[in-house]
Amino acid sequence: MMKKLLILFVIVFVGSVAQAQRVTPPETLIRNATVITVTRGTLENTDVLLRNGKIAAVGKNLNASTNARVIDGAGKYVMPGIIDAHSHSMLDTINEGTLAVTSMVRTEDVLNPSDVDLYRGLAGGVTTLNLLHGSANPIGGLNTVVKIKYGRPALEFLFPGAMPGIKFALGENVKRSATPNQPGVTRRYPSTRMGVEETIRDAFVRARDYKRAWDEYRAAAGKDKNLVQPRRDLQLEPLVEILEGKRYVHAHCYIASEILMLINLADEFGFKIKTFQHVLEGYKVAKEIAAHGAGASIFADSWSYKIEAYDAIPYNAAIMTRAGVVVSMNSDSDERARRLNIEAAKAMHWGDLTEEQAMRLITINPAIQLGIQERVGSIEVGKDADVAIWNGHPFSVYSRVDTTFVDGVVYFDRQQDLARRADLAKERATLEQAEPNKPPARGQSPETPRRRRPTHDDTIEEEQP
Amino acid sequence: MPRLRPLTVALFTLSIVSTFFVSFAGAQRSAIDTYAITNARIVTVSGPTIERGTLVIRNGLIVAVGANVNAPPDARIIDGNGLTVYPGLIDSYTNLALPEAAPSPSPGGGGGGGAFLLAQARPSPGGPNSTQPPGLQPEVMVEDVIRPGGTEIESSRSIGITTALTSPRSGIWMGQSALINLAGDTPQQMIVRSPVAMHVGFTPLRGVYPGSLMGVFATLRQMMLDAQRYRDALATYERSPRGMRRPEMDRSLAALVPVVDGRMPVVMLANSEREIARALDLAAEFKLKLIVAGGREADRLTDRLAKQNVPVLLSLNLPRRTTAAVPEADPEPLRVLRDRVEAQQTAGKLARAGVRFAFQSGSLTNISDLLANANRTIENGLSPTDAVRAFTIWPATIFGVENQIGSIETGKIANVVVTRGELFDRNRSVAHVFIDGRPVDLRPPTGGPGGRNLLSGTWNLAINLGQGEKSATLNLQQEGERVTGSISGTFGTGEISNASTTPGGEVRFTVPVEIEGQTREATFTGTLSGDQIRGTVTAVGMSPGTFTGSRARPN
Repeated sequence: MMKKLLILFVIVFVGSVAQAQRVTPPETLIRNATVITVTRGTLENTDVLLRNGKIAAVGKNLNASTNARVIDGAGKYVMPGIIDAHSHSMLDTINEGTLAVTSMVRTEDVLNPSDVDLYRGLAGGVTTLNLLHGSANPIGGLNTVVKIKYGRPALEFLFPGAMPGIKFALGENVKRSATPNQPGVTRRYPSTRMGVEETIRDAFVRARDYKRAWDEYRAAAGKDKNLVQPRRDLQLEPLVEILEGKRYVHAHCYIASEILMLINLADEFGFKIKTFQHVLEGYKVAKEIAAHGAGASIFADSWSYKIEAYDAIPYNAAIMTRAGVVVSMNSDSDERARRLNIEAAKAMHWGDLTEEQAMRLITINPAIQLGIQERVGSIEVGKDADVAIWNGHPFSVYSRVDTTFVDGVVYFDRQQDLARRADLAKERATLEQAEPNKPPARGQSPETPRRRRPTHDDTIEEEQP
Repeated sequence: MPRLRPLTVALFTLSIVSTFFVSFAGAQRSAIDTYAITNARIVTVSGPTIERGTLVIRNGLIVAVGANVNAPPDARIIDGNGLTVYPGLIDSYTNLALPEAAPSPSPGGGGGGGAFLLAQARPSPGGPNSTQPPGLQPEVMVEDVIRPGGTEIESSRSIGITTALTSPRSGIWMGQSALINLAGDTPQQMIVRSPVAMHVGFTPLRGVYPGSLMGVFATLRQMMLDAQRYRDALATYERSPRGMRRPEMDRSLAALVPVVDGRMPVVMLANSEREIARALDLAAEFKLKLIVAGGREADRLTDRLAKQNVPVLLSLNLPRRTTAAVPEADPEPLRVLRDRVEAQQTAGKLARAGVRFAFQSGSLTNISDLLANANRTIENGLSPTDAVRAFTIWPATIFGVENQIGSIETGKIANVVVTRGELFDRNRSVAHVFIDGRPVDLRPPTGGPGGRNLLSGTWNLAINLGQGEKSATLNLQQEGERVTGSISGTFGTGEISNASTTPGGEVRFTVPVEIEGQTREATFTGTLSGDQIRGTVTAVGMSPGTFTGSRARPN
């Protein structure tokens, strides 16, 4: 049944995104809920109207069209869809670990729109992900910002207008501290934090030369007809975009010295680091991070999983927030993505952030870090209808999501999910009787199930030699 | 001009005469290559089926076909009473006629048998002076490495396949394929068209860039951009070389120029919905003439395939459960269960959606399963007429040879298969196969349902690969034409693959063996005689050896 629906969707929607956007989402009116707007306070007994994929109105006694779906929100909470600023869900592969600079590779090329972790994210109230390349290289691949439109073609997941980004990484992962020396095997350069800095500087020197070669060519192209255009270099093009301020840098890092190193290096070349990722020692250099204008995307209380993670403290979010840094809480994990609400809540316990400050960590702040704050991250009229209805306050461990909307369309609904289970059991029974699914009388033993992705990307397990 | 001595003149004259004689003999031989299949049912594919008619073959071509055609007096007559004539079947994606598979490319990782592999087995003649590592050499052409003959070709012919697209085995830029007839004494005689297409696989290289799927896409893009620039730079240089530094010659980029110009089709291996979507995206980005090979879930993207006019070489290696029912494997994910069932429906859905497609064997372990699996697609919604087309005129059209093969029409190459019973009938048998107008020897039809399970049992083997006799235990299970099993002993333990057998008692299978610390593919070819078996073993990188065996426990 789902498959038939899926095929129908493919038939109806594939072709162009523009075409898909013309399809009008249903209208929904949520009545009498507690609305956590994040940017405009928390409103009791308030209605939210979702129309044409946007938040059309927020207020009391709103009217909807006759064919609108009306949801009784009494006792329930409406909050903006959670934004995970560091995810590897949906990616068929995470690291191109063979080279130290892999700015030519794109996560957008390896999206898996049917990854079940996406559905689990929706069930945790998550609607937007920043899909990042892994941390194997000083300069990694290009990111992809997506809305979780589970069941639709990958093309429709792409967040329109999100700023292009790239993954950088510093420290132990890129210098391969976890890789033992093997006789006869040359280690990939760099092996020290000094080498990491040199690798990044070298790449930007090359990018500057590359930009100059193109600028000169463009200036001379009209005059000399025998001029051959410079080689297009997919590795250097994204670095030129960084220099021109057209691409955000999301830099995986741990210790204070390497954070300062990257800030200095960025200043030297005249670009900005948009976010520091993990940034466990960020509290030590919070003022410098704020002065540079960078954001920080962190874990609540995960530490000591390697040497460079020993100095972490759970007050990181609070200290950096008070220093003026835009802070977000990310998952970096298919599993943690389902409970980012609880990660944010921890910041109220450790460091006494206000409820609103804690809420911002998983909504408007990551939106700012991805350049999508005009579209999502809070409940405001005119923003995208990416919201979730919770059956209790999202910061309670007893609360769960009833319904998740993306662009006004329901992509997760607890009641529908429960109702569908009997049909799926029936379908399974039928399929198991089908000829291609019958086990042979004798056959090979089954494959040992393989973990698809490390639960915590921070240990780079993929493609390690 | 020097004067010629009489002896020289005589020799010269003699050589001319003998040349004429040989040519004349050749013409004579062709002249008696005339066959007439009379009173047969003829499925022309291009036109209506002739319920009772005659087909005349002369000089390698179809010269007459129809209900009122008379057999010429010099023709050898084949009584077609009760038989059906079809165009020769085309397998639209194979590795036929290629040397044995080499280990996947890993530069510098050769080791012991390296020289042998380079010389004998690696399908990468692009090696010398290539600018690219193995796996990224689009200049590789199968035309340069194909060899006539071999049991795989015989097996394919025995079920009625007369023509196959044969592609390099591995790589990202795998190289260029050829369309070959499955008969001929030389590679040159076999080729119908070469090159046909550029082939692309999405498997990363090992240990070097690109080592991930992301890197594969980046590499494909970069090399196509480089090829565009190479083309433009060469064109500029040709216009006025004076005053311009000459572009460096690059065979790899030169081979990609027809691809980025949209002149040469690109076959991309893609089975799942997202693999196919990625191939379509890349083709749209570079305006490539795409052909999808594999295509298991192509039915989910029919709109895009139709819109971008992309045909599918649909694999008939239909997925089925191979693991026993054990707690570790069950319950299987619902998605897996669905995919196996729906793969049987893909062909029918493509036909209904108007997406062009052709059948391919998709590395079936046993080529005899090909028509049985085609029959499963018919049971799941494909019309029998379209099933015949997907083996004949559709692949011919996709490969641009529809004026040469793919239907029974006057003037086309005389590739035909003559069956007793309908092509997709379980009880069908192949009576005759003609390739390039000549009958080919058919191997005795393989086992077939109801065939005896001669091989089943446990065999004690003594294997000699030049290092003294080693013992091993071989377990074989034969179910109809399907042979499975495993081997264990001095050479390690492994599952057998590519097993085939004949009622005459010949058996052939491949198994990984461990020799001198290296795992190699060994192919066993043996003859069965009651409870005894004997034959030869060839292992990659080793001199051929022998084996004998006896059945320990018949069952």
